[in-house]
Amino acid sequence: MEFITFKDLNRLRSIINAISTSVEVKGIIDSAGTNLPSLFDFSVFGVLVKEGSTLYLFQEESCSPAFTQEVVKNMLKVFSTLGEKTIGAEQVALQVEKRRWKTKPRAMDPEANVKSHLTLPLVVEGEIMGCISINSDQPNTYNVPKLQFFSVFGYQMAASLKHIQRFSSVKREAIYDTLTNLFNRRHFEEKLSVETQMAFEGESNLSIIMVDIDHFKKVNDTFGHAGGDKVLREIASLLKSSVRKHDTVARYGGEEFVLLLPGAPLEPTNTVAERIRRSVENTPFDIGETQVRITISLGISNFPVHQTKSKEELVKMADLALYEAKRGGRNRVCIFTK
Amino acid sequence: MKEAREEKFSSDLILDHYENVLKEIWETVSALIGEAILALVFNLAIRKIGEKYSFLNSLKVSEEGPTLAEVKKGSRNLPPAEIHRGFQGLINQLSHLFSAITEGVITKELLPKVLPKVREAERMILKK
Repeated sequence: MEFITFKDLNRLRSIINAISTSVEVKGIIDSAGTNLPSLFDFSVFGVLVKEGSTLYLFQEESCSPAFTQEVVKNMLKVFSTLGEKTIGAEQVALQVEKRRWKTKPRAMDPEANVKSHLTLPLVVEGEIMGCISINSDQPNTYNVPKLQFFSVFGYQMAASLKHIQRFSSVKREAIYDTLTNLFNRRHFEEKLSVETQMAFEGESNLSIIMVDIDHFKKVNDTFGHAGGDKVLREIASLLKSSVRKHDTVARYGGEEFVLLLPGAPLEPTNTVAERIRRSVENTPFDIGETQVRITISLGISNFPVHQTKSKEELVKMADLALYEAKRGGRNRVCIFTK
Repeated sequence: MKEAREEKFSSDLILDHYENVLKEIWETVSALIGEAILALVFNLAIRKIGEKYSFLNSLKVSEEGPTLAEVKKGSRNLPPAEIHRGFQGLINQLSHLFSAITEGVITKELLPKVLPKVREAERMILKK
């Protein structure tokens, strides 16, 4: 039997240290893929992460596609058996990275198939988070000490993935509004600080659109809160799809939303706001058996057209413009005027 | 009356015997792959074999290891051969899962320890 050496233990410690300090899934996997060849002999190292169904493969550059397919098939088979849920190759996103291992000077036989493997589930608190696998084109590559090392590595990897999963969910709750999936007001305030500072310093455009649903109380009173929530979600999704990727759409509170458009001059912002208004006006909202027509009012402020050096004031200007739109009969867009 | 007592006695013996076998499997394999993975594999094997041998559904396995108290309570009146077949099936199922994840690495360590004990259980039943 092959014995564990101090050198191997130290390598294992360094690998564990590297993966446990990563703060994102890709970081953990990259660091594992980079460091594992110092401890194990393999042609392909694979990590299947259940969340997002991604299969990461780090493989010897001379590894044939047939060998890769065999690894994928085997990993999915083990995962399906242990997770008691069949998962097919077409359901996973494959991310392959080819490497030249220093420890493996010879090129692989193009006809080679998997002769040895260790494939372990990533388990935390009884939950399978995925699985990891090392695969070799040589027979009897793995023995008891290698299995023990690989399982220690697997436990650390599972724990690190779980930490990241928990961290992501806390982070998500901190910045998103749970009902509409838009950013929440707190995150909007943070983005506003950053964007106003950039706009004020660079004298670049920054527009704000405040949006309020007209007569929303009537919707809630007629259809109940479930009906009101449905309208909020649908308008939120409509707002999100009406702006650019780097714009911020947030729920400001109740039935009020806010859009932050960095770099957008006043006129194009007005066009966007008008398009949104028309789009809501022309969308029939299904609440139960009933189709409801909803309208919104919008108020716009823009830096540098509206001269200010205060982020709060820029928001207040958009809010005053919104008030004007309401006062003017609702279902309209107003630009702030002094 | 005497026969029924003997049957009960044999069932207890077989249950005690397999309790030791499962403990041995637990000790050997947990040293190789750790308790969390092993508990998962055990529970999976129990669910599978429990479809055929329902008395095994009360076999509880946590990261502390297997607990047979409930199985013992519920299967004392089963024929010893039935208990033996159930546990034999469980061990086969475990071996199958161990092979799926580590090919022969675990079974090479485990089977030389466990197979003689399964045969011993067979002899205990035949003696009766």
